Amino acid sequence: MPISIPKENASVADQASLTFESPVLTKPKGGSDSGPTLEDLSGLTKTVIRAEPNAMDPPFGQALAVGDMLLCGQRPGEWLAVGEASDCAAFVDGLDRSGHVSVIDHTHSRAMFRLSGSAAPKVLEKICSLDWSDAMTPTGAVVSASVAKVTCDIARVDSDDGAPAYLIACDRSFGQYLFDAIADAGTEFDLRAL
Amino acid sequence: MLLVPCPNCGPRNASDLRYVGEAGPRPDPNTATEAEWRSYLYIEDNPAGLLRETWYCRAGCRRYFVAERDTTSNEFVNSPLPGNKIGGKA
Repeated sequence: MPISIPKENASVADQASLTFESPVLTKPKGGSDSGPTLEDLSGLTKTVIRAEPNAMDPPFGQALAVGDMLLCGQRPGEWLAVGEASDCAAFVDGLDRSGHVSVIDHTHSRAMFRLSGSAAPKVLEKICSLDWSDAMTPTGAVVSASVAKVTCDIARVDSDDGAPAYLIACDRSFGQYLFDAIADAGTEFDLRAL
Repeated sequence: MLLVPCPNCGPRNASDLRYVGEAGPRPDPNTATEAEWRSYLYIEDNPAGLLRETWYCRAGCRRYFVAERDTTSNEFVNSPLPGNKIGGKA
């Protein structure tokens, strides 16, 4: 039987013009300026690149700034490029494609949040079993783990003022739940949702 | 809490991983009898002592690996090894 492809899915280029809608529709109120902040960054372009494990830097478990874009080694042989669409597209265009390389745009399938502030590690410790001390997960560390029972990819990229900050990515369908779960965990620290 | 030593992610809570089963050689599908397949798929040695077993790091690196555990103490011994194939029992 021939496979029918709906017209709206026939061209990736057509999909690129789709308006992005965040999975986070409601945000809790409250918090204070002194507490950690939780920001919805789901609209950033997220591109997953798979290649041989040593095909490029950074290695597994580390993040690297490439221009205005962030490149995270989130699994052996798998990288996540996060940034503006133009930066990600330029990076993908410049990839060495001599080996086996695959590139998939996850922008519309993944939610991404930024949890920042001095109390951010304490918020994560409540809902994730990893060690979030500076010694184990310094800035530039990339890990994958369960956060509030949701499998997430997490990159620590500290703010310019040195405060800890984490980029947390999960499947889009868990976006609202995870946003609420992190906000709930941060209530005692006066977390503010942006 | 059972800490499982993933070769890529380091020690992880067992809830972040999936227990695949005892690690052992897979029979040759061209020559294995039905009894051998049934034994491979369903029969476990379940020793009281050292056991080589396959784990899947589902919340971390998403790789299979083989670890050796003492079933009487739940302590992992020796270094974990990368899995020798994707999925499956061993």
